[in-house]
Amino acid sequence: MDFAKSDIQTMLLDSAERLLSENADVEYWRHQRSSATGFDEARWMQFAELGWLALPVPEAAGGLDGTIEDIALLNIALGKALATEPYISTIVLAGHVLKQSADEARALDLLGEVAGGTLRIALAHQENGAHPLDVEVTGTSARRSDDGYIVSGTKIMAFDAPSAGQLIVSARLEGEEGVGLFLVPADAPGLSVESYALVDGTRASDIVLADVTLPSAALLIGGNRGAAVLREAIDRASIALMAQAVGAMEAANKVCGAYVQERKQFGVAIGSFQAIQHIMADNFVAAHQARSMLYHALANADEDEATRSAALSAARLVIGEAGQTVSRNGIQVHGGYGLTDEYAIGHYFRRLMCMEKQYGDLIQHGERFGDSIFG
Amino acid sequence: MELRLDPDLQTFRTEVRAFIDSVLPAEMKERQRRKVANNAAVPDLLEWMRILNAHGRSVPHWPVEFGGCGWTPMQLFIFNEELYKADAPEFDWGGTHMLGPVLYTYGSGYLKDRFLPMIREGATMWAQGFSEPGSGSDLASLRTSAELVGDKYIVNGQKIWTSGAAHADWGFFLVRTDKNVKPQRGISFLIIKMDTPGVTVRQIPQINGEAHLCEVFLDNVEVPADQLIGEPGMGWTYAKFLLEHERTTSSFIYWSKRELARAKDIALGEMTGGRRVADDPAFRARFARAEADLLALEWSVLRVLAHEEFDAPEAAAASVLKIRGSELQQEITMLQVDALGAKALRFFDVAPAPPPAPTDVWADYAPGRTTVALINRAATIYGGSKQIQKNILAKLAFGL
Repeated sequence: MDFAKSDIQTMLLDSAERLLSENADVEYWRHQRSSATGFDEARWMQFAELGWLALPVPEAAGGLDGTIEDIALLNIALGKALATEPYISTIVLAGHVLKQSADEARALDLLGEVAGGTLRIALAHQENGAHPLDVEVTGTSARRSDDGYIVSGTKIMAFDAPSAGQLIVSARLEGEEGVGLFLVPADAPGLSVESYALVDGTRASDIVLADVTLPSAALLIGGNRGAAVLREAIDRASIALMAQAVGAMEAANKVCGAYVQERKQFGVAIGSFQAIQHIMADNFVAAHQARSMLYHALANADEDEATRSAALSAARLVIGEAGQTVSRNGIQVHGGYGLTDEYAIGHYFRRLMCMEKQYGDLIQHGERFGDSIFG
Repeated sequence: MELRLDPDLQTFRTEVRAFIDSVLPAEMKERQRRKVANNAAVPDLLEWMRILNAHGRSVPHWPVEFGGCGWTPMQLFIFNEELYKADAPEFDWGGTHMLGPVLYTYGSGYLKDRFLPMIREGATMWAQGFSEPGSGSDLASLRTSAELVGDKYIVNGQKIWTSGAAHADWGFFLVRTDKNVKPQRGISFLIIKMDTPGVTVRQIPQINGEAHLCEVFLDNVEVPADQLIGEPGMGWTYAKFLLEHERTTSSFIYWSKRELARAKDIALGEMTGGRRVADDPAFRARFARAEADLLALEWSVLRVLAHEEFDAPEAAAASVLKIRGSELQQEITMLQVDALGAKALRFFDVAPAPPPAPTDVWADYAPGRTTVALINRAATIYGGSKQIQKNILAKLAFGL
């Protein structure tokens, strides 16, 4: 066991520190939130130049073939800076699906575009009322046509879909077993898209597919592999999400630590009061345990599915709750200022709330972990 | 960054598991597993130390020259984990983990030669005399005095919460040798034989039926001056060293892992309204949370063992372990109690050993759960209370 960072990890974190720290402030976040996509497209291209978008991409597609630990460390840095770029959806989640897809040559082409920053891909899987950790699809179907597939159904809350050029749509294959994962152009005829912002400034879409006609090659993965790959991809997204949450918590703690030393009441810094000190101690404990659980999830990331998903849900449980503890307490020590859009803590609060609920929330992960214990 | 366990450690685990299995007497194991009291019976504890010592493994964490095994922190972690899992009696922590390291680090050649073998061989039980009635969290205000007269210290004062003092042969005490300096500077670390004239021990009846905690009265007790460890006035420094040396012990990680497994057995064994307690969604959610929290604690321990660098002084991690470790001990014991439901209310006396034979109604896991849960409220109080730990954290992590 060794927590020391490798050379590539050190380089990655140095470059992250340089690029992200200059834009980790309220003014930047507010500006991005009101932009077209919710993030700075020019900075996305800088991510590409720094190799961040190539991190999980195989060397054959011009990537860095990075490990899940590399991805996590970069995402800690993204979380610290409250970056709203669609890194998790495109690079981690869609990237994993592409790597597993049947047509390897085409996948490498697509991954090359992803690594270059010219293609973003979002997952459209969630359906209204469906359990987010259930990969079996009921409301979207794909039936074979003469030269491909015709896909119909309704998806909701496809994270980062508004800025994506392609979607990965999950569908039940009519007359066949399993789940099919289809690559669908975001402007395909038959798609109607309603896009909106989430409370943290990122974007999502509800998508109706009405007899969308797709070529055979659109099916990236089908049959009995589709569900397994989707589970893996969502679990990897969860790991990156937890890494961002850990980064956000640690940064929020710094913000609060500075605030309670600067804010004076009764003639002294409020950080001199034991009541405030103990809240800050609770926040430190929560963030520390959160990082420990990220390590637990990482250590089990490549284990068999049952072990991996149990470890991951346990981690989501601890980290989801820690994020709420840190940010709610953070608002409390800020008093009224914590409720304004002009102080950083409210931005961390909203981002951590989103992260707690994406790809399965606290209750759902708690259930999945409980089931893994008792069967 | 390599977060997977070194495969060699699995081989090590198999070896120590087989070792423990071969040397731990079956009756002793059964007595430990079924004991009602929180603490192991003294004869078992000392006998187990003697058995381990015969195989050179009674103080594996000590330097090799004093009888240690030369193991890595991860090997020690696994050895301890396997000991607890096997229901082996606990170490006499006072001797092996508290006094021992202070002795071999700061003690004179005479003290090392005299006392280290006694600890290592399981020849003695040790009491820790730190707290006083007026000095709990504010330990530096302690008033028990030791005055040097010729080649003896004359000790007067009172200690409290001295665990196991009634069965201890020796004790290590913090005493004030100088009243004219800053409180911390005037404290010394003194070894006292418990049957010295003037030492009186009173056992304190506890809320769980045990009387493990004691008061120790010291009335003109004459102690040879060469039983003072290191330099006079350095006792506070040694006590801090002792606490920092055992940074991961306060997590109680091994104990909590075993007890959570027992809570699981209870939840699977007890029925309520026709279903297993484990199938009650509210119970299951609470259990899942405790198990996840315990995994987080375990990784926090591993981070300390590996000296992971992070954004705060290393000592901050020790306070995290103490806070979460103690909270989890309490949550896990309460999960056991709550899984038993109203059955947990039956009082099982610690005195008659063995406990009553199990029946269809009263499974063998029932006796002892509440006894332990009651006294476990102490976990967030001793060794630096939770409030004190939070004060420390606020200072170390945020400069408050």
